Amino acid sequence: MNTLPVVNYVKSEYIETDTGNKVSRRATIAGAQNIILGGKTIIANAAIIRGDLRRTGPGHAVVISLGRYCLVGEGCVMRPPYKTYRGNFNYYPMKIGDHVHIGAGSVVEAATIGNHVEIGKNCVIGKFTIIKDCAKIADNTILPPNTVVPALSLFAGSPGQFIEDLPETTQELVEAYTKLYYNRFLPVES
Amino acid sequence: MPPLRDKFSIHSRAVVCQDVEMRGDITVGAGTVVHPKAAIFALVGPIVIGTNCILEEGTILVNRRKEVMRIGDENLFEIHCRVESPVIGDCNTVSTKARLHHTVRLGDFCVIGAGCLVVPVEDEVLPDYTVVYGPNSERRVWSGRGKLQEQDLRRKHAEYLREMLPKFNRLRRSE
Repeated sequence: MNTLPVVNYVKSEYIETDTGNKVSRRATIAGAQNIILGGKTIIANAAIIRGDLRRTGPGHAVVISLGRYCLVGEGCVMRPPYKTYRGNFNYYPMKIGDHVHIGAGSVVEAATIGNHVEIGKNCVIGKFTIIKDCAKIADNTILPPNTVVPALSLFAGSPGQFIEDLPETTQELVEAYTKLYYNRFLPVES
Repeated sequence: MPPLRDKFSIHSRAVVCQDVEMRGDITVGAGTVVHPKAAIFALVGPIVIGTNCILEEGTILVNRRKEVMRIGDENLFEIHCRVESPVIGDCNTVSTKARLHHTVRLGDFCVIGAGCLVVPVEDEVLPDYTVVYGPNSERRVWSGRGKLQEQDLRRKHAEYLREMLPKFNRLRRSE
């Protein structure tokens, strides 16, 4: 666990907020006023986060909320899911828990993602997918729309299917890993 | 190869974000919505996009041929898909991360599933209602049930985007 390499980034490339979020200047973030970051969350280069696709209606609407110690990998696309309900078209909010890592190049249109979830590289998470706590999605998985991934399970393949149960220590392991990753994501001057 | 001449004609009712990479001769029809970070490259021949299409983030449309690349009406191109086919009919869906080679032509009401590759060696036309799915890009024919609901959803989606996108994104206009 302690062998995780230090990831360095050029300081001027990232904006660090006072709650410790690190957001790349090269990420595309639309509708930033509708996005909530929990703190100590990293948004890598070339990620696209769509906070502009909001639910119609008066007042303030949260579109995407991310918890603490999350990572949105390089080239990820996060956009809320849409459907028509009683004849009205709408986008619906997306909620992501704490300690969630999303690998590079994944496309996420989930409705809810629990805590301590790991999503691999180049995954496609279909619309209105629900991923429960401590689940893991392997690299290159394609989850069709409306999938429900139960807690402590590993999903892989196209279409994504249940592969095996994860050990009960997953929560501690993922928590330690995400904290370590954040602590080793360090700026270098230049 | 002659140098690329950029010539965009964007219909006044179309919504094309500023953050879209465009090259060559491109025509965008009425009511079409192009999300930010999409890319349209008419490298040799022009690209003509019909009405009420939706191009999501990371979509790449490329025309490497001399002939016009024609895209019909009410098509949906989802996130990170790459399309080089010279002819696309109406009401097709190209899902997330799917890829269409320049040898395929699409009819109407086709669905290309998420992550599917359609890369035939020889020229091929996918007939109407073809569905490509799964990791091995298998094919079958859709009965057409739920077609009206699908079209209705598509129309409302485009209508919603035409209203909401200009509030948060800068738009590109025809010069």
